Amino acid sequence: MKYLKENLNKLDELSRRQFVARTAKTALGVSILPVAGASSKVLAAGGGTAEHCIFFYMNGGMTHMDTFDPKPGTETGGKTNGIPTGVPGVELSEFMPQLAKRFKDIAVIRSMTQKTGDHRGGSYWMHTSYQPRATIIHPTMGPWAARLLGKKHETLPDSVVIGGGGNHPGSGFFGPSLSPLPIGDPDRGVQNSDLPDNVSEKQFDRRYKLMNTFDETFRSEFKTDEVSAYTQFYDETLKLMSSDDLETFKLTNEPNYEQKVASYGDTRVGKGAMLAKRLVSSGIRFVEVQAGGWDMHQDLWNAIPERAGSLDMALAALIDDLKAEGLFEKTLIVLGTEFGRTPKINANGGRDHHPRAFSTMFAGGGIAGGQAYGKSDKLGIAVEEDPVDPRDFNATIAHALGMDLNKVVYSSSGRPFLVAGHKQDRATGKVVSEGKPIARLFG
Amino acid sequence: MKLLHQHLLTAVGVLTVFAVSARAEMREWTSSDGKKLEAEFVGTEGAGASAMVKLKLANGTTVNYPVAKLSADDRVFVKSSLPDDPAALASEIDKLVLNKMKESYYGLRDELASLAQDQNLSNADKAKRKAEIEREMKMCVPNKMTSDSQFMRRIYLDIAGRIPTYAEASRFLESRSPDKRADLINELLDTEAFAMRMFNFFSDLLRVRDRLVMGGGGQLKAISYMEYIKQSIKDDKPFDKFVRELLTAEGTVWDNPASAYMVTDQGMRLCNLSNTFTVFLGTEITCAQCHDHPFEQVKQIDFYRMASFMGEYETNKRSNLNYRAEVERMSKVLLDAGKLRPNTVFDNQLNLILGTMRTNVNDTGNQRVALPHDYKYDNGEPNQKVRPAAYFGDTVNLEKHATPRAAFAEWLTSPGNPRFTVNLVNRLWKLAFGLGQIEPVDNIPGHLDGQAQNYELLKFLEQMMVDQNYSIKDFFRVVCNTNTYQQKAEELSPTLTQIDSGAYHFPGPILRRMSAEQIWDSMVTLTTANPDGMVRRGAEKYRELMNTDITTLKTVEQIESFKMQFRQIGSLSSGEGGDSMMMMGRDAGRIGGEQMVRASEMPVPMPPGHFLRMFGQSDKTLIENQTTHGSTPQVMALLNGSITNKVLTSPDAYLIKEIAYGDGKKGDKIDKIFLSVLGRYPYPHEKRAAASGLRARNDGDEPRSDEEKEIAAIGDVIWALVNTREFLFIQ
Repeated sequence: MKYLKENLNKLDELSRRQFVARTAKTALGVSILPVAGASSKVLAAGGGTAEHCIFFYMNGGMTHMDTFDPKPGTETGGKTNGIPTGVPGVELSEFMPQLAKRFKDIAVIRSMTQKTGDHRGGSYWMHTSYQPRATIIHPTMGPWAARLLGKKHETLPDSVVIGGGGNHPGSGFFGPSLSPLPIGDPDRGVQNSDLPDNVSEKQFDRRYKLMNTFDETFRSEFKTDEVSAYTQFYDETLKLMSSDDLETFKLTNEPNYEQKVASYGDTRVGKGAMLAKRLVSSGIRFVEVQAGGWDMHQDLWNAIPERAGSLDMALAALIDDLKAEGLFEKTLIVLGTEFGRTPKINANGGRDHHPRAFSTMFAGGGIAGGQAYGKSDKLGIAVEEDPVDPRDFNATIAHALGMDLNKVVYSSSGRPFLVAGHKQDRATGKVVSEGKPIARLFG
Repeated sequence: MKLLHQHLLTAVGVLTVFAVSARAEMREWTSSDGKKLEAEFVGTEGAGASAMVKLKLANGTTVNYPVAKLSADDRVFVKSSLPDDPAALASEIDKLVLNKMKESYYGLRDELASLAQDQNLSNADKAKRKAEIEREMKMCVPNKMTSDSQFMRRIYLDIAGRIPTYAEASRFLESRSPDKRADLINELLDTEAFAMRMFNFFSDLLRVRDRLVMGGGGQLKAISYMEYIKQSIKDDKPFDKFVRELLTAEGTVWDNPASAYMVTDQGMRLCNLSNTFTVFLGTEITCAQCHDHPFEQVKQIDFYRMASFMGEYETNKRSNLNYRAEVERMSKVLLDAGKLRPNTVFDNQLNLILGTMRTNVNDTGNQRVALPHDYKYDNGEPNQKVRPAAYFGDTVNLEKHATPRAAFAEWLTSPGNPRFTVNLVNRLWKLAFGLGQIEPVDNIPGHLDGQAQNYELLKFLEQMMVDQNYSIKDFFRVVCNTNTYQQKAEELSPTLTQIDSGAYHFPGPILRRMSAEQIWDSMVTLTTANPDGMVRRGAEKYRELMNTDITTLKTVEQIESFKMQFRQIGSLSSGEGGDSMMMMGRDAGRIGGEQMVRASEMPVPMPPGHFLRMFGQSDKTLIENQTTHGSTPQVMALLNGSITNKVLTSPDAYLIKEIAYGDGKKGDKIDKIFLSVLGRYPYPHEKRAAASGLRARNDGDEPRSDEEKEIAAIGDVIWALVNTREFLFIQ
């Protein structure tokens, strides 16, 4: 890092800030897009007022029947009871007591529907508004926001995925420069970001220089995209290591750490929510928190109290925390999953995949709380009112964040794509958004 | 620019080898469509599916006729004259690759020539197209042959799944044998390392994880299944047989581990069918579960007809033993002895273990598959049961088989199934070359011609797989002996359009980043003298424990010992099984705080933050879920992580202590390190750069002895080498 530091010292304070901004911009996996300032008029495009989004993704297919759309007393209700929310006629499941108490702050969607019963396909659709194709990877919402709205922060990445698996579509055809920064374990933050104790900076510099010497021949012979991408990652990582931005990712530096862990819950989803809040407070726009364990084919009522309980606790604490910091109205909270689970209880005491009807949730960021939007039928099998598909779901997120739903972005192969899916308008022949935001959520 | 003509001429010269038979007699030949001909058998040319028979007619002229188009009897007559050794088959593959390249090259050249006259294109478009054509033409010329170093590193990574050790590398490079490449291929195919490498491939396809199913607290173990897969690879069990075993296995996962395939998707009969299609037929039919497939000729009813082949098995079986009562009885014993946790009266671990004892794949004869309740097409009613039937391939006669799934297994693996063999060779080809003949590999179209990069080659490989009785080892034995494989890696990346339109013709393998397992296993190789020595075993113990008569566990000691032994299943051990097996604890294989054993012997999946996962190891929840994309965290792990800073570069590290300063030849330390990490000797400028570090002054820290400084400098060289792109990619 010697070269970098020497260069930095030569610069005056202003240039130094600019330099760090420029390097860190690329370092955490973000491109050279213009920064949207506070006075920017992006709101005109979408109309939403949210500046940040925390997206909880429940891997495996969250049971709607036992969380946000309980059917107690019916033949499909199982052992799950309902509890009141304060809104007449609307109950949540008994496993979500904290959210039931905060129901005035949340809007539940009970009429989600899609067509794919496999995890990968469903998850892909929910994340990208497109069904998987062999020839292209579609971008997810965080990278879309960066692409359509410009960068949110000068030196921090625009989007982060906490606890994600290996199959997240990431930035898709937008390329690696817009990739969300992955964080495996919220407690460990950006892993390996500091020099190890036994290595001095001088030694590090010497090693780095040796590495470049040893690699010269190979790199001049093989100029493939993959090799260049790695070289770019090395350059960016080096710059990141010499910036101050890594502190943001250290969860233990959060004020009142112990106390907060107690309210969010000492769980993956709890710590994930807590880190997401910290990142959002620092100015990061889009944070996805992934949590698994929802693929409950067996023994559902053994698993649900803890699974739903930890989610309930994390979401409730997040709402309270954002409110305390005055960020709730600026931060859209979204809960999504690939599908619901069959109302019919199987022989193993579990529920299977059910894309026909399921539930999601929105809160904060300009969302009018205290409502249940849409309806599944009496037994939770099909959507009865106001169907919402993954494109509408993403259109709602895009709208809340002020993205232009009809802005066409072309892939390198020249194919047009839109943030919430696209279709051709018959009358004009133009490519327009297929997804429609749920207007009623915006009061 | 390489000279195409020169290459083609040399290749043809080498490849035209006649196998002349001593017998010369007039006989009657019959073609597969019944035409007859009197001719003398002169000999054969080529091998495998593209072999030709050379016939001398009565009028003295000699003609070539494809062996594949002869009658069955005539094929038998010719067979003994046909070479079937790997070298002959490899030559045929090279010939087919060259033919395709030549065809493509001339096509592109003609297009380039007529481009200027094209009225429909703007000048800008012409310039763009011209650049594309020229780029593609460069990729239509075979690459130069690899050096011994390049070949060695590639073949070790592809077959053994890791880089060669210092000893292995120097032995190969010093060998003067003309057959040393072929010999090394043979040698590596018979190692434990090959089984480890292929296990990683199969466990990604079959989604093998330690906890076979999510439910039951994860107490149903995959250890027996894992050992069964590894053993099948080592025995080179014919792949079709292996698949039939998976699809038809009955019983428990501990007594008959193949049954774990069905158990993996317990409770998801329809998903299991979709997965079977993806993995073994390269066909994605998931969407037909809910509606007629929009592009392929597969209707929703076809899906359910296929699924009903799998409609009669269950993964649980009733037992006479009341497990709940047994758990309560044993819990009482533990409770009375004060061995239960405070405030508990029920031992949950025992409950979970015993809960898995009913898992048993068995065919009940009750058809569980029916059309969905919202079925909307005219060819069936909602909730109607449908008869098992295949929508392509052979017609299935259910009466001939004991169970519908046995019939399904037969249909799936039959040579009459147009996708089974193609899927296998396509996936294996991709493993060796970095790109399939058909991409994506899970989307094999109904009509292959025009969809594959090289249709003739794909058909050749398909026939070869059948001829070789589905031997995976023999497939690699041939493919790794081809020039196509042994040529240098392609320096350009094929574009998506090129792959999509079947226009990449393999001037060499594409430059691949190592898989997560290959990187990890290479780190293990740099850490220990015997990288393949540590294995995970437990099938035998698991079987013994699960067959225990639970009612005989009466005393606290018996019950606790049962629980303890159960917890230890799947520990690491060194050496072969039996009494000599040494059980080891958490510290087994630990070096510098990290457990450095081959990826195939580690728990699966590893936690998300582990080195393996960071570099893209599959979490085994989805088929082919691994990635080789780069990321900032990977780079940070190599720059600052424990592997490169504590494990490989500490003064106690294997590479420093045993290799650089170890016994044996008094070679140069820097040479040894280069050979260990990159499989090649350093270039002069690299050696100078490394040597200048050896003379480096103190860093301003506490003063150190010359030897300490030198060791630190050697550590720097190791660190720098494993951080190169050259290390990460397979040249």
